[in-house]
Amino acid sequence: MFCPTHTCRTCLKRLRPLHGTPTAAPARSTPQNRSYANGSGSAPSGSTSSASKSNDWQTVIGLEIHAQLRTGRKLFSKSPISHNAASNTLIDIHDAAFPGTLPVLDKEAVRLSLLTSLALNCTINPRSTFDRKHYFYHDIPASYQITQSYNPLAADGYLTLPPTPSPSTSSSSPSPFSSPASSSTAKRVRIKQLQIEQDTAKSQTVGGDVLVDLNRAGTGLMEIVTEPDMSSAEEAGAFVRRLQGLLRRIGSGDGDMEKGNLRIDANISVHRPNTPFGVRSEIKNLNSVRFLQTAIAYEIQRHIAHYESTSAPLPQETRQVNELTGETYALRTKEEAMDYRYMPDANLPALIYRPGTIEDLRAKLPEMPWVTVERLTGIYHGLEARDVETMIQLDEYQGRGVAYFEEMMRGLDAKKGKKAANWMTHEVLGQLGKAGREWDERVVSAKMLGEVVDKVEGGEMSGTTGKAVVRHLINTPGAAEGSDLDALLDQLGLKPAPAGDLKELCEKAITKCKKEAEMVRKGNEKVAMRLVGEVMKLSQGRADPKKAREIILQILQGV
Amino acid sequence: MWSTARRLTAAALKPRVSTTEPTPYSWINPAEAGPSNYAGRLSGKAIAIKENISYTLGPTSCSSDALQGYRPPFNATCVQSLLENGAHIVGQTKMDEFGMGSLTSHMPEHYTPVHNPSGPASDTGPRSAGGSSGGSAAAVAEGSCWAALGTDTGGSVRLPASYCGVVGLKPSYGMISRHGVVAYADSLDCVGILARDVDTVSSVFSTISHPDERDMTCATATTRQSAAALLAFHFPSLSPSSLKGLRIGLPIETHLPSPNVQLPPSLLEHLLSLGATLHAVSLPNLHLALPAYYVLASAEASSNLARYGGVWFGSEKEKEDSREGESGLERRRRMRTEGFGGEVKKRILAGTHALSADEFNNTYLKALHLRHLLRTDFSRLFRVPHPLDPNTFAPPRGIDLLLHPTATRTAPKLDASQRGDEESEYAQDLLTVPASLAGLPAMSVPAGKGEDGWPVGVSLVGQWGMEHVVLWAGQAVDRWDWKL
Repeated sequence: MFCPTHTCRTCLKRLRPLHGTPTAAPARSTPQNRSYANGSGSAPSGSTSSASKSNDWQTVIGLEIHAQLRTGRKLFSKSPISHNAASNTLIDIHDAAFPGTLPVLDKEAVRLSLLTSLALNCTINPRSTFDRKHYFYHDIPASYQITQSYNPLAADGYLTLPPTPSPSTSSSSPSPFSSPASSSTAKRVRIKQLQIEQDTAKSQTVGGDVLVDLNRAGTGLMEIVTEPDMSSAEEAGAFVRRLQGLLRRIGSGDGDMEKGNLRIDANISVHRPNTPFGVRSEIKNLNSVRFLQTAIAYEIQRHIAHYESTSAPLPQETRQVNELTGETYALRTKEEAMDYRYMPDANLPALIYRPGTIEDLRAKLPEMPWVTVERLTGIYHGLEARDVETMIQLDEYQGRGVAYFEEMMRGLDAKKGKKAANWMTHEVLGQLGKAGREWDERVVSAKMLGEVVDKVEGGEMSGTTGKAVVRHLINTPGAAEGSDLDALLDQLGLKPAPAGDLKELCEKAITKCKKEAEMVRKGNEKVAMRLVGEVMKLSQGRADPKKAREIILQILQGV
Repeated sequence: MWSTARRLTAAALKPRVSTTEPTPYSWINPAEAGPSNYAGRLSGKAIAIKENISYTLGPTSCSSDALQGYRPPFNATCVQSLLENGAHIVGQTKMDEFGMGSLTSHMPEHYTPVHNPSGPASDTGPRSAGGSSGGSAAAVAEGSCWAALGTDTGGSVRLPASYCGVVGLKPSYGMISRHGVVAYADSLDCVGILARDVDTVSSVFSTISHPDERDMTCATATTRQSAAALLAFHFPSLSPSSLKGLRIGLPIETHLPSPNVQLPPSLLEHLLSLGATLHAVSLPNLHLALPAYYVLASAEASSNLARYGGVWFGSEKEKEDSREGESGLERRRRMRTEGFGGEVKKRILAGTHALSADEFNNTYLKALHLRHLLRTDFSRLFRVPHPLDPNTFAPPRGIDLLLHPTATRTAPKLDASQRGDEESEYAQDLLTVPASLAGLPAMSVPAGKGEDGWPVGVSLVGQWGMEHVVLWAGQAVDRWDWKL
């Protein structure tokens, strides 16, 4: 167990480097895009090399993650939570530990934590209890934090990591969502336990004063503890990204590390193969995947440098990362560790569930994002993980993006899956993006887009017309309401030109492009498409290109 | 407002019995009863509350320097219920600091210890009212209020009731909401009621005993209904005038040789005459109760009192700025050193020790185990199954109530030098602590006088949720004429 605070209390005064700075600080990685971007390829460049260049060291990493529960209120009081509120405005008297106040547990926090536990394949403890963890500091008004130490909510789960590419082959970016089944390197990280606990207040030292903001005090957290099953910074990063996706899909957390809604402590040690684990150091409060990976890389180097330069034991320490240099520094050693005097909290009854509760929750579990990727790429030939990830990111909480795609596919041949995805992600999203708007499944209904895709891919409509329909729906407020494709084409004057007109247009095109016409006449059918292009131009995109080609060939070759 | 009221009331109130010192000293802030905002079953009744029960119109300082001048921003649920039923809160009563003590003498130096008003006129030297709800018991005994609320963690209502010759009920754990009651030991704390007779206690109890969503340990409506169903099933015809069929157990372990207090034989005959039967029973683990209690209560106290000494609640002391060059930690240390009295510090240290990593298994967990043994002792005796655990075996020929002296002695002298053995303060809880550890309803009812002419009380202890059995039998004891 460890302290949950951001800033670290009394130990802050003792900040001092205990070791000489290892020579090579890890290089900065390029900033990552969204968390789904790259599962494992973008770790600091120094990280793997330090571990793998000397094959005789193995790294062991375990994570302790604090995820803020997305309930909108505090765990034991009815006070709302918000990031934007002025300091000390969101406080119930219980949050300030007024004498005589008692904790009243938010049941929604329990439901979300149970769902998260089930998604992490944990066993739910049939009877979990709350305990108090004691220490004196400004950020904890009661001088104890309510947590679950002796009987946590859930235990013994796992999360499967995305497959790691072997260094020699991979140029494509592996994704945290892509199928683990296809790769023998897919790895499970065991979850030791998941517990519910209170967050602390925020404290800040300004001049000689410690300023305290109780807005965060009493906010609900899930603490998720892994077994030491990760062996590189890349794996740790991939684990965190996958967990973020899981929390969002469950709706139990937003995984926002920037806001401190997801905070990570990493336990790191190195050892030689077939020897016991080395002494671990704990890096506290890592608030981005990049800092997590930087800190791990730095620690690996530091530990190896220590073992290779001296026979003295490595001190067990709690450390923090300097976000400017990427180096870590010691907060306190094991000898300075506090005795938290854990004690059962008699104000909170044990959590016991009615028969069927857990089964009902399990039945309601949404599909995890990486399972969606695996399933959809399996059904629709040519559909890539990247496509599905784009759909997932449209709405990570409700999965409306994926639902839209699946609704669209209900009226379509599965072979058109890739094309349909392109229409959705390139045309609809692209045009919305140009208009500076967020995705909304109502702008172009799934049914409408499905019909467009069907007609265009079946050659009944030109791509240009299809795009025009999409553009119209996006740019005309209310256009989507109640309209069907046929009426819309009429309204826009985009109905395919009648056959008579088409012949006229084809002849015009032949007259206009004499050189190409001559080539076709001589048997070069490829060039016919240039004439078709001209027909499309003349018809302002309304002509049916397939038919135009037929007519042109008929005129020129008499086929 | 309070200082005027205090002078007025202090002048107006005469102690029932004058001893060598002027009294009363029961009150922090006796107030004159004003008109009530509510009509109700307690309309116009003057009720005192112990100084650790939150009340917005008065300081709630728990008789501690650490909380001097603290005004809660809310009323305790039980206080709110009293007010809404028309009661007048006529002031707050002194206590042992944070409820820790059995004499109402562990208080800041500027407090005068509470004097017991119930002794013979001839007695010399003030005697203790018992603790920790001594102020409430004395206020009832001296006649300055109709009833009073106290809190009972290990006997803090029953012991003062016994010493002061009044009725004191500690209900089942969870019957009265603890919301607003400043915590001493959460797993043991109960709001209790003190009054001159059982009928008054019963009336106040039925007003403040109800579910409360602000206290998760407060019995829900469903739980109360199942207790009521068990009551109706097992005691279809019980009333204060007929105890026919009531099986009363006399625990042999509580029968201590003279000069310890004995059950009056004429009381037993009275109960038999009303139709009750008496049975010798055994609580083999009774002797483990006191050590278990002091470990658990101290451990919980060390946790609950950890919040004091910071910067949070706005007592006069807390408003002081840090001294020059003093760190936050040093300030906190000073506030706690100066804010707590000796007895509180002793228990915080003992509790901190019990919870420390090296001691936890051997001290705290062992005490929890002893508590479990004692609960098992009780559950083996009662004919009615525990409503919270209805599947446990309840012996068909078990008993309905336990009867034993509340205390081993009458009120001790306040002056420690006249008392001798300091250790005996802890031993005073010997007979009250078992019901606290088991969470059972227990009521002390006056049962005549000891050889020194000071009151003695007997305790009735029932199954969890069987307050009505305790109250009915208590009313029968009330009607016994001890002088016969």
